[in-house]
Amino acid sequence: MTPILELDRATKAFGGVTAVDALSFVAPRGQVTGLMGPNGAGKTTVINLISGLLHVDSGRIALNGTDVSAQKPHHIGALGLARTYQNVRLISGLTALEQVVAGSFLKRDTSMLASFLHTPAARHRMRAIREKALHLLDRVGMAHSADVLAETLSYGEQRRVEIARALGADPVLLLLDEPTAGMNPAESAEIGRLTHKLRDEGLSILMVEHNMKLVVDFCDSVIVMNFGRLIARGAPTECIRDPHVQEAYFGKQRHDADGLRAVG
Amino acid sequence: MDYLSDLWATNRSTVAFAMVNSLFALSTYVVLAAGFLSFSTVVFAAVGGFVGAQLVVKGVGLPFVFGAAAGGGLLISLLVAAVFLRLNSHWMALASLALVLITRVVTLNAPALTGGVNGLGVPLALPMDWLTGVLVLTVLAFYALHHSWFGVASRVLREDPSVAACMGVDLRQIQLIAFGISGIVGGIGGAAYAMLLQFISPDTFFLGIAFTMIAATVLGGSYHWFGPVVGAVVYTALPIVMQAFLPHLLQEVANGVVLLLIMIFLPRGLIDPRAVRLRRAAPAAAGVMKIRA
Ligand SMILES: Nc1ncnc2c1ncn2[C@@H]1O[C@H](COP(=O)(O)OP(=O)(O)OP(=O)(O)O)[C@@H](O)[C@H]1O
Ligand SMILES: [Mg+2]
Repeated sequence: MTPILELDRATKAFGGVTAVDALSFVAPRGQVTGLMGPNGAGKTTVINLISGLLHVDSGRIALNGTDVSAQKPHHIGALGLARTYQNVRLISGLTALEQVVAGSFLKRDTSMLASFLHTPAARHRMRAIREKALHLLDRVGMAHSADVLAETLSYGEQRRVEIARALGADPVLLLLDEPTAGMNPAESAEIGRLTHKLRDEGLSILMVEHNMKLVVDFCDSVIVMNFGRLIARGAPTECIRDPHVQEAYFGKQRHDADGLRAVG
Repeated sequence: MDYLSDLWATNRSTVAFAMVNSLFALSTYVVLAAGFLSFSTVVFAAVGGFVGAQLVVKGVGLPFVFGAAAGGGLLISLLVAAVFLRLNSHWMALASLALVLITRVVTLNAPALTGGVNGLGVPLALPMDWLTGVLVLTVLAFYALHHSWFGVASRVLREDPSVAACMGVDLRQIQLIAFGISGIVGGIGGAAYAMLLQFISPDTFFLGIAFTMIAATVLGGSYHWFGPVVGAVVYTALPIVMQAFLPHLLQEVANGVVLLLIMIFLPRGLIDPRAVRLRRAAPAAAGVMKIRA
């Protein structure tokens, strides 16, 4: 079976900075893959390259076996990719429910004309989408705020709405860019458990995460990068112990197990 | 009763202008709501105006006059969109202004179609019930659009194009539809304007009307279709109201000051659904705080 995601020597430079440098890795289907690396390592750039907001200078990115390196974001979305953003990008002026309905755009199953004419089929479909959106908000624990203007919610709540919005598109691969930033340990663990439930339903997930405990508890495997390059990959506990990773995160002098204990 | 009919007689033309300006503002709004500030409605209105005027001169019936004006506006809007959508959105306002200047030169130099410098007389006064009917239909269409997937997509697109694209929204498709609607409504508005003035010339569709459209839209608010309608009514009525209170010399200054004040204190316009929702949310939140305390 082809992997859900494959990067082959993907490279992206911004002026003099090579943010992603000949990066190759594979995200297995039906697993939660962690993407780690210190600040500025190039993780968000990788996410942007996969989703088509940026394009590789060279190399190749394949989603579900399809080369998407030169595709536009909406084509990549239609192939089954959905994502969240490091600094939460909800739409101002919309309620939580409306955000998730908008996230279901690809599943509308209605032509623009039928939607404009409000045909019975179009109205029926819209009702079904609203129900599904409410269900998704329920899954992330936000159903009680469905009709609340999303921008008035707390940061952690907004992150959860954003995950529900991404799920609205019924993706095959979900990219989460620091989904637990700004959350307390209980909320973070909740997100971890959600990723496991989604994975068990068949979704593949690539998750940028700084919280080592979360990575160890919930990622099936991890990829660690630094300065745009891959420095380790494999089982979470082993990767975190890897001297290269210790050095990247904590500097040279502490590349023993102390670093891990300090954050674990 | 006499008083009422007097009132109607004196304000009839103001009401008619407010309605035509509503059409122009709606045409400007639909493109603005898809992320572009553009003056191109002037061009669509010019096409609708001259096409409509020519057909009226030939004695064609009103349904066909409006139909042809809508079709002409649509056609030109798709041509304009094909060029404009290649531009960076920052440059579109300027490019559309350039287009307004070009349109004037073209209309001046095509006297066979436009009457050139002499303009074109329109031998038919627009019946009020027709104007009302056209505006009501247009507003209904905008209501339907607001609740359609086009409406959903354009709201997201305007706030965050990258997020919209990642959701699967084909930005170019939505923007093309927006321009098409703008063209249809602008064309219809142009024909209505021609019959309201009963005389049009290249100067009719120039900078003055461009300013009116943008001012009415921004004043009323561009986050809901009701905004441009309210904006057009206020913008049309404001000078009339000022007339009653101020000496002639101060009127224009006062108009400008009122517009500036509204834009400073209500930058999102008079009709802002987000502000309404925030206000509705505020007492609820206050209630929760009290219970906790
Ligand atoms: N649009 C851009 N233009 C120029 N430089 C950029 C751009 N985006 C990222 N960079 C640079 O590329 C490098 C990688 O940035 P990136 O945001 O991918 O890192 P990151 O691993 O996500 O970091 P963090 O943990 O802080 O989110 C950084 O040096 C950053 O300054
Ligand atoms: Mg980042």
